[in-house]
Amino acid sequence: MKLHRRRRMAISVPTTSMGDIAFLLIIFFMLCSNFMNEANIRIAPPTSPQIEIVENASISIIIDEEGQIHVNGKPVDSDAAVEAIVENALQGKTTDEDRFVIFRCDRTIEKRIFEPVLEAITKAGGLIIAVGDKQEQN
Amino acid sequence: MSFESLRRKRKETAVPTDSLSDIAFLLIIFFILATSIQKIAGFRTDLPSGSRDQQTQKADDKTPTVGLKGDRIQFNEEDVSIDELRTKLAALRLKERSEERRVVLLDASAETGYQTYYSVMAAITAADGVIGIMTEDD
Repeated sequence: MKLHRRRRMAISVPTTSMGDIAFLLIIFFMLCSNFMNEANIRIAPPTSPQIEIVENASISIIIDEEGQIHVNGKPVDSDAAVEAIVENALQGKTTDEDRFVIFRCDRTIEKRIFEPVLEAITKAGGLIIAVGDKQEQN
Repeated sequence: MSFESLRRKRKETAVPTDSLSDIAFLLIIFFILATSIQKIAGFRTDLPSGSRDQQTQKADDKTPTVGLKGDRIQFNEEDVSIDELRTKLAALRLKERSEERRVVLLDASAETGYQTYYSVMAAITAADGVIGIMTEDD
């Protein structure tokens, strides 16, 4: 009697659309990401135990350790320039959430440098979110 | 002899896409590793600015004032530490007051560093106070 060996079915995982799925994921990541254009600005943030997690805002102002003012990562000359940029960016924005401005400043900077910037933001209609590091209480 | 046998067979052209999904997933891994989810810690503050005026000062004698001279903190002209200031501000029960009576004046000298200023601003905000910056008129 002749015995017929059963033919094994070839098993394969369909991977044709894998590349498409992967590229869709990449596009998703790229659209959801914000590139940090302020990563090169060096500051030592102030600390306080009385701070909490706050939401991010579209406008960011930094005063670095040398006293240089940056708006959204770009250096500006004076607090007057800060006021003009913030005022322009906040045009037509009415809700509090839209008017938030992130403010970071090096802890060693003196009042004569940072206070005119705080006033400029306020004059331009911005609501300040003063960013720092959480200090653990003993 | 037929022409059919003489016709050259065209080579099939195809872009090799086998490794496309590998490349795409490598890019995804890169994005995941290079991304950091940023959490911002700080406090919100709305700063109404005012100017030093003798008449206003007389009328607002009861308005609590925090003075900053370098690293020294004064509450109603009495030297205090930052912890004592927090206690004194909490004792004022600003939350129970109307908006205009929540103002705490902040009078800082030009050499005050941002660290001290930030701690005091955080303390006033945590006590539900509204910060009024006092500026010298020229």
